[in-house]
This record gives sequence, structure tokens and C-alpha cells, in this order.
Amino acid sequence: MMEFFEANKDILLFTGAAAVKALAFLGAVMGFTALMTLAERKVSALMQDRVGPNRASVFGFAFNGLFQPIADAIKMILKEDFVPGRAEKLLFTLAPFFALVPVLALFAVIPFGDYVMVYGYQLELQIADLPLGLFFVLALSGLAIYGVFLGGWASKNNFALLGGLRGAAQMVSYEVVLGLTLVGLMMIYGSASLQDMVRAQGRLLFGFIPAWGVVCQPFAFILFLIASTAENKRTPFDLVEGESEIIGYFMEYSSMRFAAFMFAEFIEIVLISMLIATLFFGGWQVPYLYETGFMFPGGAELPLNHYLVSAMQVGSFTVKTVFFCWFSLIVRWTLPRFRFDQMMSLCWKALLPLALLNILLTGAAMTFLGKL
Amino acid sequence: MISVKKVNNKPLNLLEKIYLWEIARGLSVTIRHFFANLFNPGNILTVPYPEKTIPLPGNARFRTRHRLKVRSDGSPKCVACFMCQTACPAYCIRIEAAEYTENTVEKYPAVFDIDLSRCVMCGMCVEACPEDAIAMDTEELTGGALNRGELLMTKDGLLRNLPGEPSRKGAANRLANEYLKSRGEE
Repeated sequence: MMEFFEANKDILLFTGAAAVKALAFLGAVMGFTALMTLAERKVSALMQDRVGPNRASVFGFAFNGLFQPIADAIKMILKEDFVPGRAEKLLFTLAPFFALVPVLALFAVIPFGDYVMVYGYQLELQIADLPLGLFFVLALSGLAIYGVFLGGWASKNNFALLGGLRGAAQMVSYEVVLGLTLVGLMMIYGSASLQDMVRAQGRLLFGFIPAWGVVCQPFAFILFLIASTAENKRTPFDLVEGESEIIGYFMEYSSMRFAAFMFAEFIEIVLISMLIATLFFGGWQVPYLYETGFMFPGGAELPLNHYLVSAMQVGSFTVKTVFFCWFSLIVRWTLPRFRFDQMMSLCWKALLPLALLNILLTGAAMTFLGKL
Repeated sequence: MISVKKVNNKPLNLLEKIYLWEIARGLSVTIRHFFANLFNPGNILTVPYPEKTIPLPGNARFRTRHRLKVRSDGSPKCVACFMCQTACPAYCIRIEAAEYTENTVEKYPAVFDIDLSRCVMCGMCVEACPEDAIAMDTEELTGGALNRGELLMTKDGLLRNLPGEPSRKGAANRLANEYLKSRGEE
């Protein structure tokens, strides 16, 4: 037995570390997503001078609504799991999984920190450092269309089908823009691995500006923000749901199947926020913070403990993620919905040419100004 | 003559066509509200109702839970004329009339039920009452209940006076007033 452990020490350590990272990171994300369902209502309430849910209590302690997600979960579990008589049973059951699994799998490639030394073992703070992480992101977010479309089609309901059709058209269109905006980043950082991109963003431009994606590619940032909101099916691009006109692709769903769709949407908000933070706002980078501590442009230095540096990096990533989640909620409760033709023309006539122009300008700049 | 309102729809200028600046302006409004309410929750007008109440504004206190007024001798002012039951648009009042044994001048309600689960709080019963016997000025809001039975108000629950009552005025009905006078009660 001991020989087996000794012989396979490396692979066992790697597997164990990966499992621990996956559990810890996904656990944190799931917990945060549950809070997001509450935050969505609380933020919207505060924006509209209301109070929001604050009554769900355990033993009389409500904590201003902190237990609301638990109450929601209990309600969802206890509701009748209804399947329409004419629905395609198999696909109807599969659709929530198709919605949920790709977004969960995407967290594997997101770096939430640099690395930590644990008893001499270098623990990378990323579940899987794929060399083509960015393509993995695009491929799997393309897979998420199936959840929407199967859900809309399999329930054999005209409104659901309409929602599914809209969803498929919208997500396919904005997928193109999403991919093209990221080309500029790949050109600048010379890598498609997200960890490499974050490391590259630690460099300084002109000696004092952090080379974050938003500094190098401000135009791509705006395009990515718009396209990712559309990809996420949130207002002003929530025609897929359009709760005031068609209820959307999950119209016939109830109970935990519906909760899976809702949860997938909220996880997607977290995911998109993490992607924005990773690609455009330096991921876990803190400005002027390096492995050994702060090194300010003026020459001042502040050496710090390795664990403190790691904690600050993870904290920085968390703060950025939370900020963009909050921003997503604010946008959702501020803007009205586009009309379908407006949304499509915005994608194909405005965003797509601008994304191509962005690639052209980036290429020109790199040719004349040299690489970063 | 239909009044015509001229709407000045200006064509959008370039900055407005791009949307982004206008979106930023809109966001600034909502974000301002968000932080104002986050750091100063006292400005939110919502009242956490069952725990905290505010005086009902304006005439809203005359659209609260019903009551039947009681004369000084303990008999209901109501003469079971069925006016309120007829006027009620929600059909929530049920009256069964009965006669006093000692006089044949007026009736009294043997049964007077108001089903608050059907009541629409319109106040038509109060308007219709010729005796000023029913009132909606208890300032108790008809809230929810855990079963329908709790929302059915019977005569026992309805018959009560506010402090300072009964008024010595008696009924508006001439015959009833004569009867009261004969009993020495004005």
C-alpha cells in the first residue's frame, strides 16, 4: 500500500489538490450565487426606494432577509414537478442539465489567484490551467444554447418555443461578437491561457500604468460588456424571457427544474463577472503588488509575507467579481428591453463591425508600436 | 373637441444614438438611489406593517373594519332594514331580522354577518344606512387570516362602541325616536 502511494505520489497529490480546489471554489461560487438571488431583489429594492425581502427568519432572526435563499430553495423543492402531457419527456428532463453543466464547467479555467506554497508543494490557484482556456470558455458557452433551445422546444408550448427560438438566435449572434472581442486580447497578451493573460496584466505600461485589459483594449471591454450581457440573457437583452410578453423558454418548467434554469442564469452572472475581471481588470492582480510585496513606481518597496500576498490577490479577485456582479444587477434594473429587430441589428450591424475594427486597430498598433 | 397635445420629438443626436452616454446617465440615477438608500435606510417610506403602524392618512380611517353602533340600553342601533345588504356590491352582508317582543315599532338584526374575505371596503353600507348604525371607523385594518372562518364577522364581533359613545341622539327614524322618548331616553 505504501509503495503504491510512494510510486504515484505526484499524480495523487495533483488529483487531491484538484479535487480540493474544485470543491472549495465551486462551493464558494454556489454560496455566492445563492446570495446573488437575494442580492438581485435587495439591490433592485434599494434602487427603487423599497425594502426588499426581509421576512424569512430562522427562530425569529431574519437578518434583513439573509435566509430568503433557503426559503426559496425549500419552496422550490416542495413544489409539484410538473411535466406537460405533450412534452418530449427525455429532452424536457435533459434541458436543465444542459443549461447548468456548461456554466459550472467553465469555472475550471478561471484563475482566482497566483499560487500558494503548502508544505513545499506549489498549489496553483486555478482548477485547470488549459493552454487554450479562452477557446474552452467560448466552446462551452456555445453549448449553453442547448439548454435554452431544448427547454423551449421540448415543452411543446408556443410561447416557450418562441423564447427558445429567440434565445438560440440571440446567443448564436452574440457568441460571434464575444469571440471576436477576445481576439484583440489574445493578440496583445500572446496567449489563450487565462492564467498567462492575468500574469501578463501584471506588467506596467510606461512604468506606472498597470497593463490591464481595460487599459490596452478599452473598446473591446465595452463590446465584451454588451455582448456578455446579451449572452447572459439579461436586460436589456432579456427577450428570451421577456416576462411581460412571453414568459420564455422555461414557461412549462416548475419546481427544481425551473430552479436549475434560474440558478444557471445567476451562476452565469458570476461567471461573466469573473471573466470580465480576469480578462480586463487584471484578475487577481493588485496594482504594484508582486510576489515579494509592493513595489511602487517611485522606487518605494514594502516587502510582504507570501501568504499575505496570496490572500490579497484572492481578495482582489473577489472584490472585482463582486463589483461586476453588482454592476450587472444595477444594469438589469435600469434599462428597458430592446425590441428583437433592434437587438439583432445592434449585433450584426454595430457590434460585429466594431469588433472587427478593434482587431484591425490592435493589429495596426502592434505593428507600428511593437509588442507589449 | 379633442384636445391635441403637440409632442416635441427631437431626432436623436449622435451622442444619444450611441446610447452609451445616456445609459451612463441613467445608471448614475439608479446608483445614486441605491447608495442613498443603502447608507440611509430611514428614508425608505415602507412601513414594516404588523410591527409598526402609522396614523392612517386622510379619510382612509373611514374605510377600516366595520362595527355596529350600540344604544345606551345595549340594543343595536341597526333596525334590520336591509339597506346595507342591498347596497353592498360584494354581497358580503347577511342579515336576518327579528322583532322586539316589547314593541312593534322596529326590528333588530338577529343575525348580522359581514364576510370580510369578500368585502371590498367600498363604504357603500355606511352611505346607505338610514340609522347611522354601521360605521367603518374602527381604524383596524382587515388583514389576512389563517382560515376563512376568522374573516367572518358576526354580530357579537361587530356590536361595539368607540370611546365616548353611545351618543344620546338615538335613531334618525321618527317612530323610533318617539319610542325612545316614551322610554325617557331622549
